[in-house]
Amino acid sequence: MKTGEPGLITTTLEKALEWGRSNSIWPLTFGLACCAIEMMAVQASKVDISRFGSEIFRSSPRQSDLMIVAGTVTKKMAPRVKRLYDEMPYPKYVIAMGVCVIQGGPYVEGYSVVLGVDRVIPVDVYVPGCPPTPEALTYGIMTLQKKIRGENTR
Amino acid sequence: MEFQPGEEKGKDGRKIIKVKKEDLLSTLESLKKKGFNHLSLITGVDRKDYIEVVYHLHSFESNEYVVVKTVTYNSKVPSVTHLWKSADWDEREEYDLMGIEFEGHPDLRRLFLPQNWVGHPLRKDYNMKNVQYINMDEDGEDYATFDPGDGW
Repeated sequence: MKTGEPGLITTTLEKALEWGRSNSIWPLTFGLACCAIEMMAVQASKVDISRFGSEIFRSSPRQSDLMIVAGTVTKKMAPRVKRLYDEMPYPKYVIAMGVCVIQGGPYVEGYSVVLGVDRVIPVDVYVPGCPPTPEALTYGIMTLQKKIRGENTR
Repeated sequence: MEFQPGEEKGKDGRKIIKVKKEDLLSTLESLKKKGFNHLSLITGVDRKDYIEVVYHLHSFESNEYVVVKTVTYNSKVPSVTHLWKSADWDEREEYDLMGIEFEGHPDLRRLFLPQNWVGHPLRKDYNMKNVQYINMDEDGEDYATFDPGDGW
C-alpha cells in the first residue's frame, strides 16, 4: 500500500557495500581467443549484462573490477595476464571462461598452452564450455554477484 | 614415399611444381617474372627422413595460384627474401617452429618463441616430455625456462 510516507530500510554498512559492489562489476575488455566472441554476445542486446550492472567493458585494467579470461592462455600470454591482473585495483574478481582457461582443454597435450589460468592468477568462478553460451557466462556473472554478496552460490 | 621432381595437379585444381633444392631459386624467379608477385605462405612438412618446404604463390593479374614444393635432407634451403619481402617473417616462423634454416636470410631469429627455447616444437623428433615454461624479465623480454617455479 502506497501511503506517500518515506520508507525505512535497516541494514549493515557491509551489506550495503556488498550490494553496491555486486551490482556494478565492470569487466575488462580482454579476449584471448574464440570465447571472446561469446563474451561480446553477452554484452549485446540478446543477453544484455547491463541488466545486472556490468554494462561497461573498460579498456583499462585500472578502471575495471572483473577480468573475464575468455580464451586459451598461451605460455607467452601468461606473464601479460598476470601483469594486467596486477594493474587492477582491489576488490578484483576473475572468471575463467571456457575449458581451455580451466585446464587446457583440447590443447592439454600441446607445448604452448598454460594448463589452467589458476596457475597464474586466482579464479573466483569457473564457466565450463567450448565455448560457453552467453547464457552460461551470464549465469557465471550472477554467481559471482551472489559470491560477492556472501550468499550461498549453490 | 620418395620425392620425385615434376608437375601435377592438386585436388583443388592448383598446379603443383616439385623441384630439387638446387632448382628452387631459378623456378621461383621465373614464376615471379610470369606475374606471381604475391608469396601467400611458406609451410614445412616433416616427413621424418626429410623436410618438405612448400611455397604458395598467387598472381593478382591472372588470379591463379601455384604451389612449389622442394625437399631438404639437412634442413637448409636458400632464402627467397630477395624475391618477396614478405618471405622474411614466413621464413622466421618456419625456422622457429620447424627448424628449417634459410641460407641468406638477413635476420634469422625466432619469431614467436623466446630466443633461448630449446628445440623446434613442430618437428616429429621434438621431445614433449621436456616441458618448457615462459616468463618475462624486467625489460619485457620473454625467456624460456625448464623450471616450473619460474614461469608458466
